[in-house]
Amino acid sequence: MKQHTKLNQKQETIAEQQTESKVAREFSSSEELLRFDAGQTSVPPEITQRLQKSSAQISPSASRSWWKNIFGR
Amino acid sequence: MNEPIAGQAIEVGAPAGWKAPGFARLYDQHSRAIFYLALRYLGDVSKAEDATHDVFLKAFRRLDQFRGDASVRTWLYRIAINHCNDLCQSWHNRHIHTTSEDAVWENSPAKSDSPLRVLETKELGQRIQQTLDALPDEYRLLLLLVADEELSYDEIAELVGQSTDAVRGKLHRARKSFATHFEKTN
Repeated sequence: MKQHTKLNQKQETIAEQQTESKVAREFSSSEELLRFDAGQTSVPPEITQRLQKSSAQISPSASRSWWKNIFGR
Repeated sequence: MNEPIAGQAIEVGAPAGWKAPGFARLYDQHSRAIFYLALRYLGDVSKAEDATHDVFLKAFRRLDQFRGDASVRTWLYRIAINHCNDLCQSWHNRHIHTTSEDAVWENSPAKSDSPLRVLETKELGQRIQQTLDALPDEYRLLLLLVADEELSYDEIAELVGQSTDAVRGKLHRARKSFATHFEKTN
């Protein structure tokens, strides 16, 4: 009987957790929804690695002049 | 705006492995925004990865052409939009939306000011993509740009080559269209 009660409690807990995972989110606008989506999106690290390789083949002097152009240094 | 500040050491916070640490910092600050735009505009992860790589490589090659008239973010968006538009044109993989079809969505009951409810956030990305795919390119782009809080309406107008008033008007219709399509993905 005691075991049976424990089992019921466990089932109730699982049911509660499942309900919690389906809590409705509400977004007031499409912008808010898209911002949330963007926040959930991470940049795949493969791009960084590819870009590091690609940019390494180009003269780094270009980046120096860019900082000069922006900051006058 | 979270731009590089003059006088700050550009080496600080630069990810390891970069030959140009200043560029690494720029990538760090803006790559998420550019990747997200490419992802939702093109609707395909691998295409978005390629596009993000190509956009930043183009930017790297043209760094010395950046005159500082616009923010770095706007400059990167311009490169990204041109790149994505070129890809879309060459792939011919977008649906053609007729004016009459747009009118149906725009004349449907107004829902743009109603809350958008979602139950499962894990499926949210799919629903958003389906919704955006159903919109004309112009609406899709405007909604993605206006979702970036770092961009002003004036900057968005400049990016899409229209007046600020025209952008506001189109955004109103785009939001309405988004809300209507989004409900249908439920």
